[in-house]
Amino acid sequence: MENSRKWVKSFGGMILLFLQCLSLTFKGKTRWKEVIEQIFQVGVRSLGMTITAGLFVGAIMALQIDIQLKDFGAESFLGGLSTSTTLRNVGPVLIAFLLSGKVGAYTSAELGTMEVTEQLNAIKLLGADPIEYIILPRIWAVVISSFLLLIVGLMVTIFGGVMFAEVIGVNALSYVENIPRIVTEWSIVLSVVKSFVFGVLIAVISCYKGYSARGGSVGVGAAVQSCAVTNLMFIILFDFLLSMTASVFQDLFGVGYL
Amino acid sequence: MNYFLKNRKFRWRREETLEQMYVLGVQSIPIIVVSLAFIGLMMILELAFHMRLVLKHDSLVPAFSAVLMVRELGPVITCLLLTSRIGAGIAAEIGSMKVTEQLDALKLLSIDPFDYLVIPRWIGSVFAALSLTMISIAVALGGGALLAAQKLGTSSGEYFNTVFFFVKFPDVLRCLIKAFVFGTIIPFIASYQGFSCELGSAAVGEAATQAVVRASLSIIIADFLLTYLFYAI
Repeated sequence: MENSRKWVKSFGGMILLFLQCLSLTFKGKTRWKEVIEQIFQVGVRSLGMTITAGLFVGAIMALQIDIQLKDFGAESFLGGLSTSTTLRNVGPVLIAFLLSGKVGAYTSAELGTMEVTEQLNAIKLLGADPIEYIILPRIWAVVISSFLLLIVGLMVTIFGGVMFAEVIGVNALSYVENIPRIVTEWSIVLSVVKSFVFGVLIAVISCYKGYSARGGSVGVGAAVQSCAVTNLMFIILFDFLLSMTASVFQDLFGVGYL
Repeated sequence: MNYFLKNRKFRWRREETLEQMYVLGVQSIPIIVVSLAFIGLMMILELAFHMRLVLKHDSLVPAFSAVLMVRELGPVITCLLLTSRIGAGIAAEIGSMKVTEQLDALKLLSIDPFDYLVIPRWIGSVFAALSLTMISIAVALGGGALLAAQKLGTSSGEYFNTVFFFVKFPDVLRCLIKAFVFGTIIPFIASYQGFSCELGSAAVGEAATQAVVRASLSIIIADFLLTYLFYAI
């Protein structure tokens, strides 16, 4: 009971924080210089990890789909099927998992430390709004950099798949030729939409969790942990919801099929 | 590093081990079950789309999604979720123990912190990874059966027949080996980050972040290596 009340409270807090940030943005209060600095801080630090993760995710999916297609006797679809599965669901989910660890946990740890060491209260004392000065630039920075990192990661997954296909004895040229047979523009739209939504989720959840950290170094650790878990659960939930929406569109209007 | 490599004798600590099994395993059940149910539903949706593109009919969707679930996504996604739940928790706990000098207090009582803190967490985490992987695959297959009945019109008997026809026992065994490896990776990386945490509350957050990032990346890489080892060679 206590747990569920806390959960509902933090869910409401996230929505309120997001709405407040949106209204501040529409009032033109975003300080874009700060945002760019934060993008550099958050995004560039995570680029190496994203590329490594993307390579391995692409390779894993190429290998696994290859083995499974051999079981069912449909190897000729390898390139298209593995790329499409990776782009549409497995890739965004796995890379967003890693980014929620890197970008999200980093942001919540930083904000949590600021909150615990009373730096945010000091800003309030100076008559400034900590949401406008500290949180708003971070939210936009995390949204933009997670979105861009996810797109980069997804591109790298294709490359990883091609590279690994050559290792397991599939001709890379035929692998690449197969990709446009199955990957439609709607699949790419879906994966871009998913990347954007995951970026917003990571930004709002980690900023909220960091902002609401209390109680010294233990509190910071707890904030990071609950931020990571909440991020992952919401990523999975929204992944399902977006896939469901896409499937409804496919069934009703026939978009997505060749 | 030297600290971990010293020759030491291990003791079986029943109380701590049981407590860690409860904290790391039992308390993660709700999160894992909810998330993996959604993953199971999503796999059916996506593979139905792909199979209609490729094979023009969807009789193979349950088998394909179940094999992908058991071999790949079941252990990986379960252990990534576990990483963010228990990896950050272990690093933050040990890190704040170090910051508040509780580790020094343990040493003063001549209790070996490695023996006292890491081994119970390792056993608890392996236990959690193995059992939660099984639970999560069961839940995902159950969710898949529900959605397949709705969307594809496959009756649940038909669904489980194809699933059990295509998922062989060695697949389950390899899946458990994967879960064991991932369950070993998480506590060791996390507690290493905790032990090498510097002083101050900023460092605890940093340790927790690093634990999650490094453990998840290691899990992805280990999964790649294990899949290659099991299926391609």
